[in-house]
Amino acid sequence: MIKLIGAVLILFAGTMIGFQQAARLAARPRQLRQLAHALQRLETEIGYGHTPLPEALERTAEVVAAPLAELFRNAAEGVKGSDGFTFRESWELAMKNGWSSTALRQTELAVMLRLGSTLGISDKEDQLKHIHLALLQLKAEEDAARDDQSRYEKMWKSLGVLIAVLVVILMV
Amino acid sequence: MLDRVVHLLPPELKAVLERLPESSMEHLEEIRIREGRPLELGIRGQSRFAASDGTLRAGSDGAYKPTADICRKLLEKITNHSLYAMEEELKRGFITVAGGHRIGLAGRTILDGGNVRGIRDIGGFNIRIAREVVGSARNLLPKLLDKNRKTIHSTLILAPPQQGKTTIVRDIARSISYGHWGMFENAAGWSGRKVAIVDERSEIAACVRGIPTFDVGPRTDIMDACPKAEGMMMLLRSMSPEVVIVDEIGRPEDAEAIQEASHAGISVIATAHAYDLHDARGRPVLRQLLDDGTFTYVVELKRTAEGFMHRVVAADMKDKLPAAAREPTAAAKGEPERVAQTYSGFQRGDVP
Repeated sequence: MIKLIGAVLILFAGTMIGFQQAARLAARPRQLRQLAHALQRLETEIGYGHTPLPEALERTAEVVAAPLAELFRNAAEGVKGSDGFTFRESWELAMKNGWSSTALRQTELAVMLRLGSTLGISDKEDQLKHIHLALLQLKAEEDAARDDQSRYEKMWKSLGVLIAVLVVILMV
Repeated sequence: MLDRVVHLLPPELKAVLERLPESSMEHLEEIRIREGRPLELGIRGQSRFAASDGTLRAGSDGAYKPTADICRKLLEKITNHSLYAMEEELKRGFITVAGGHRIGLAGRTILDGGNVRGIRDIGGFNIRIAREVVGSARNLLPKLLDKNRKTIHSTLILAPPQQGKTTIVRDIARSISYGHWGMFENAAGWSGRKVAIVDERSEIAACVRGIPTFDVGPRTDIMDACPKAEGMMMLLRSMSPEVVIVDEIGRPEDAEAIQEASHAGISVIATAHAYDLHDARGRPVLRQLLDDGTFTYVVELKRTAEGFMHRVVAADMKDKLPAAAREPTAAAKGEPERVAQTYSGFQRGDVP
């Protein structure tokens, strides 16, 4: 009886691990797409609206979904305070602290940090160029992430169950 | 005065300035920050260098020197971390922040086909703290009145920089707009006039998002951050003003617009950089305006320890200056006569 309960638990756990990995793989391209949308919004605010950066970031935060919105909102909050942060410091802090709550990886973080070191300190054309460059890099990452998703998502789902079944068989 | 601009300063600079003696803080007019060079302060029209412990000295030895990092933080703060939104301002060389404070910038210019497109490597800042002196034109205004039309004559106000032109012109705008015509007794029943201000540098009204932060009167419309010539024509067509006020004229197109306005029966109050009428005649644009009789009066301003002193000259007197003494532009409490005598013809412009 106890053996049966154990087997069921192992099967359940294995399935869950598999599904979770698959969900991470599915979330990455989605969030990359959202990040690209956010940067496009920022591009519009800077290029056409001439909106000051803190306000532009807040407006960007309003149009993107949960984990990413926090990144932009925190970056905007940081420069509004009286701590005398430069924009770059505030941006880096917000990105590094919030990154773990997203499904994104270190390569994207590097892209965003590079972008942050240029935002707000040059003229419009230069700003747009940097945002455009970041968008291109994110697009490449997104393509790779979609590739990974189509290749590994189903595999992880079945792999979880199968490994759990293997463990159960070995135990019995 | 310091507390008005303290939110613009990086913490390190703020700490130094907050150690200044109370009286200097109160009379602070300019903060001049140059990267790697001594921190200079303008206090009551005098130049002083500040040491890191807040003591002031006339010589630059041992003065506090702002670092490159502090200057970058300052630039980020005054541009609201958005240099890209300040292209027009960088082209003109100064930024006006909320509260009407003007921050002049110096650095290496970027040229585009021979024209200045902006400034980069900004290494020098001059923060000019804006002051609002209600009543600073109380004594001046009655001398400029047009009794027939029950309004003010077209007037050109002349003074070198830092002598209170903007402060006086702001008070004139406010007084006319409210209908406070000063001590002239016949003016008691006159109503206020519709005033239009073309505020190219956002200094007169210090608009934030189109709303003036200084009190410029209830009948006043402001075209903010607008080139003077175009702004005058736009206001003329759209807002039917009775008095138009512009700051720091000097370009040929300004003169054209002013003539247009004054021939439309509108009184124009303009300011210009010049020491006196004779000096102004050396500037082609001003000479043309004066020769054409566009202005009825010319006011020369001078700032002294006692306040703003003014001298009103009829504009059509060509080169000959009258021997009249300068008087204060507003009544000094208690001892106006003595002040008037001390400054050979200048009169004060405010109530001290």
